[in-house]
Order: sequence, then structure tokens, then C-alpha cells
Amino acid sequence: MNARMKLNPGELLISLALIALGSFVVVDTSAITETQGYGQVGPRLFPYLIGAGMSVCGAWLGWQAISGGWRNMPSDEGDHSSPDWPAFAIVSAAIVLHMVLIGWAGFIIASALLFTLIARAFGSRRSGRDLAIGAVLSTAVFFLFTYGLSMSLPAGFLGGV
Amino acid sequence: METFYALLSGFSVALTLQNLLLGFVGVTLGTAVGVLPGVGPALTMALLLPATASVDPTGALIMFAGIYYGAMFGGSTTSILLNTPGESSTIVTAMEGNLMAKRGRAGAALATSAIGSFVAGTIATVLLTFAAPFVVDVALKFGPTEYFAVMVLAFTTVSAVLGASPARGMASLFLGLTIGLIGLDSQTGQARFTLGIPELLDGLDVVVVAVGLFAVGETLYVATFLNRNADTIEQVKGSIWMDRADWKRSWKPWLRGTALGFPFGCIPAGGAEIPTFLSYGIEKKLTRHPEEFGKGAIEGVAGPEAANNASASGTLMPLLTLGLPTTATAAIILAAFQQYGLQPGPLLFDTQPELVWGLIASMYVGNVILLLLNLPLVGVWVKLLSIPRPLLYAGILIFATLGAYGLRNSWFDLALLYGIGVMGFLMRRYDIPVAPVLVGMILGPLAEQQFRRALAISQGELSIFVTQPISATVLAITALVVIVPPIWRRVARMRAAAIGHPIHN
Repeated sequence: MNARMKLNPGELLISLALIALGSFVVVDTSAITETQGYGQVGPRLFPYLIGAGMSVCGAWLGWQAISGGWRNMPSDEGDHSSPDWPAFAIVSAAIVLHMVLIGWAGFIIASALLFTLIARAFGSRRSGRDLAIGAVLSTAVFFLFTYGLSMSLPAGFLGGV
Repeated sequence: METFYALLSGFSVALTLQNLLLGFVGVTLGTAVGVLPGVGPALTMALLLPATASVDPTGALIMFAGIYYGAMFGGSTTSILLNTPGESSTIVTAMEGNLMAKRGRAGAALATSAIGSFVAGTIATVLLTFAAPFVVDVALKFGPTEYFAVMVLAFTTVSAVLGASPARGMASLFLGLTIGLIGLDSQTGQARFTLGIPELLDGLDVVVVAVGLFAVGETLYVATFLNRNADTIEQVKGSIWMDRADWKRSWKPWLRGTALGFPFGCIPAGGAEIPTFLSYGIEKKLTRHPEEFGKGAIEGVAGPEAANNASASGTLMPLLTLGLPTTATAAIILAAFQQYGLQPGPLLFDTQPELVWGLIASMYVGNVILLLLNLPLVGVWVKLLSIPRPLLYAGILIFATLGAYGLRNSWFDLALLYGIGVMGFLMRRYDIPVAPVLVGMILGPLAEQQFRRALAISQGELSIFVTQPISATVLAITALVVIVPPIWRRVARMRAAAIGHPIHN
């Protein structure tokens, strides 16, 4: 166990988020109409217990965070010292773009762009090649899943061609 | 005798041309996806779940069993050649097997792991075949009270007892339980925690959660923190066969590993991590070549790999007989059953004997296919390892989004996928285990149902849980495992010392 001197803000924030989520569950539960029926217990009991349990876990972790840090954490500080946030942003943007595009541009175009962007986030510099591979892969997957496995995927405006 | 006939009729199901072919396709697909670095068995199965949707339930589950076995083998291959364990139960294989590969003994390491998996998988399936009917007899006497008690035990072991930190395990379990609350209440039909969003009325799909946590979370994590380190793939040099000395040194560890792994898989104690570490420790003590341990000793691969596979088959015992998933992988198998409106449990042996026994028989067949297919094809799997990382993760995400979107063609599932992915990223970063999320979300609603039924029977009397003998015993065991966890602590410490970085299961 490595004792760390500094307070880790991430650990504290996650603990607080857990407390907040737990409290939200408890508060939102009171909006559920209580009907007992044969069951003696209605639909409120478990949400109350779960919300309370989550808050307790958050408090437990919060206490650990301010008293020397979370217990028994793996010692890989080196990996975490220089996060590559631009890469995180590109991966996020790729998934959001895919979500926006898939409905009207279709599966193939959305997935090919997703492929290219993710490869870019992982440091690929040959986006033209990636786009080509992505397009071939998504086309193959599209036909395999729609015709082979009768899954329905949006063809988008390529569907008219 | 009755079991024997049931098994025979199971084989008549498993050995039809269609099911044999499905098993074969399953093993191949499972290995091909499972061998990809960063893709563990749980993710492999979540990604391939849509691919089984167009077949009949029996065929789909047989294919799924094949995927399971293939994914396990693929994971071991990656661990040995790349030293990146896909899940916590292959940490030991990754340590000792990779060292063997570094000494130019990759072939022998792969062979002992494949043959060991075959031996362990087959013995464990035999044990499962003949023990399951007895467990089913007991389970048929279970009422809601007993089921609830067993689920509490599973919750406790999965979250608080195993892993590095009880606090983080419990937090993860409660996250899963909260996710499980979303949707319509099973007893009264009331909407809970749907925030007024109609898409949430059906609850969250386990595929979205599993793929979000494992695929999207992992992709975000590797892109952000690990992308600067290059992997080194060990080449498979020389023969992939073992020589006489290798056989001599392997067969006992295989059997000991099986003996350790199967019982650990059966009890709701979640995962193969403990038996693999125990097996490693035992082999290190018993070996005549202690100097080789830590430098690539074949016993250190043979034993833990057998333990890992035997435990994987053991996990199917509580899953098939009680409907109780105790690992992330088992939670996804349960989801595969639910996809067809089937609830695994003792009744399934009565109502769907063809399906259950066909599935068990296909596990024997799957083991054989695995052995026949994988050693000769090891060169192909190694090629998959050399896919450049940018293309690998780009491809994984195409299948991840396909799996989520394909459920009901809704962009909302992609938004959920990303949200859960960010959660998985944070959990990975702060070493919060993810398996309890999946077990919690699957088992939570079932536990609530049983609890409410139990109280309906007892007229609201809570004492029913401690006055019924079976449930009282199970709850007493639950208390014991919380109070007396020294073995688990020691393993957790070994785990932290041995790897020094988080691996999620």
C-alpha cells in the first residue's frame, strides 16, 4: 500500500458523485406511487435501499480519499502522469458523430468515418488509407449482417443506389 | 443412468450437422475476436451476441458456448504472446507464459495451455454433467426465500470479498443495481427512474452496458493513457508441440488446476482469479524446477490455464441450475438466454431438456473442436495480433456501435453506449471493478422479485429469511465470508504485487 501525501481530486469527485447519485435515487423514489398489493412491499423499498447503499459507499470512499487516498490502488502512476486528452476528445467526437450520422447517412458512411477518426485518435497519420479500409470493412459488415443475419441496419442515401 | 440418457439425447442434438457447424463457427469467431488484444471473453461474447440472433435458441446457445470456449483460448494466446491479459484470470498465464515465449518456448506454452484447457474443460464438463442433476434436485426445493439468500451471497462475494477493495467493489455493485432499477417494475408495472424517456421503459440492455464498459471504456482508456507504449509480440519459434519432458511436467498441473478451478467456479464466488493464483502457488511449491519460476516455467502455465478453464465450466453450474451469474461472462450468457425469453434454472431442465442437455453435450464437442482447430491454426491467430493498434480499436468500435444500434435502431442506445463508456473509462482509471456492475444489473431485478414474493408468502414477516433452514444457512455463510476473508486478502495482495496495474474482468 503506497501512502500518498497529496489528496487525489478525482477520487474525491467520484466519491461525491456516488453520494449525489445515491441521494438522487432516494429522492426520486418518493415520486413512485406506493402500491402494495399482495407483495407487502411495494416498488419503493429496493430503490430506497439501493440509493442509501450507494450513498454509504460514496461516503466510505470519500473518507478514504481524504485519509490517505483510496486503499490498495495499483501503482501505475507513470501511465497516468501524462494523459492524452486530445485523443480522448477525438474518440468521443467520433462516437457522437456516428450517432448523429447513422440515421440519415446510413451505417456504411457513419461507420467508415468512425473508423477513420478512431484510427486518427490512436495516432494513425494515413487517414486516406484508413477511410478506404473503414469503407470496405463497413460495407462488408453491412451486407453480412443485413443479408446474412437478417438484422436491419439503415442504408442511408446509399440505399437508393 | 437417467443422466446418461439425458446426455445421450443431448449429443443427438449437438451432433446434428447444423449444430455442429454452429459450434464450429462459434469457436472460430470466438477465437478470432478473443485473440484481439484488449478484448476479453466478456466483451467477445457481448460483441458476438447479435450474430447469434437469427438462429433458433438451441443452435444459438450452442454457438454461444463455442464462442465462450474460443474466446477463452484466444485470450490465453494473447496473454502468452503479448503479455496483455484480457481479464484478471489470465494474469498468471500472461506472466509465466510470456516469459516462456521470451525464451523461445512460445510453442510449448501455447500447446500446454491448449491441451490443458482441453483436459480441464472436458473433466469439468463431466463433473458438471453428473453433478448438475443433484443440484437441480436441491434447487427445485428452493422457494423465493432461498433464492433471495443465494443472490445476497453472490452479491457479497462478487463485490465485497473479491478484488482489491471492498469499498470500490460495493460501489460498483450499487451502480449495477441502480442500472437494474431503470424501467418497469416487474410486479406493479410502474415506471421507475426512466426520467420521462420512453426508451428507458424497457430498462438498459446488458449488451449496451457490457460493450460500453469494456469496448468504449477500454478504447477511451488506452487512447488517453496507454497509447505511447508499444507492444512487443513474441514470435512463435520452433515446434508448437511439447517434448516428453514438457508432457511429464504438464499433466499433473493440469489435473491439480482442474481440481482447484472447478469448485471455485461452482460456488458463487465469482471468477477464476483465485484458483489461478492458488494453482500457480501450488505448482511453484511442488515443482522440481523452482529456479525456472519467474523465468517461464511450464508448470506455471499448465496449472493456472487448467484452473481458469475448469472454473469457467464450473461457473455454468450455478448459472444453469440456479440462474445465478457470478462473473461478467456468465451475466452475458444469462442475457443470451433472456434474449429468447428463457430463464435458466432448475425448471429449464424439465421444460427444455433438449436445449439444456444439447448445450452441455456441445461443451464436450466444443472442447474437441477447439483442440483440433486451434493448435494447427495458431499461425493465423498470431497474424491477428499484429493488426496495428489504430486499426484494431477502430474496428472494435465499429462492432461495438453495431451491437448497440442494432438492438432497436435507435440513436439513443448510441448515446447510452458513450455515456456508459465514459463511466467505464473512469472505473478503469480509478481501479473500480466492472464485473459487479453487470452482475448487479442482471441479478438486482431478480433479487427484488424473489424478495417481494418471499414476503408475500410470509405475510410481510421479515424473519422468514432466518427461520427457513436453507436460507438461514446461506445467509450465515454470507456473514462468514465477510468476516473471515484472509485467503482472499492474501490473493488480492498477490495480485497487486504481481501486476501493479488494473485489469478488469
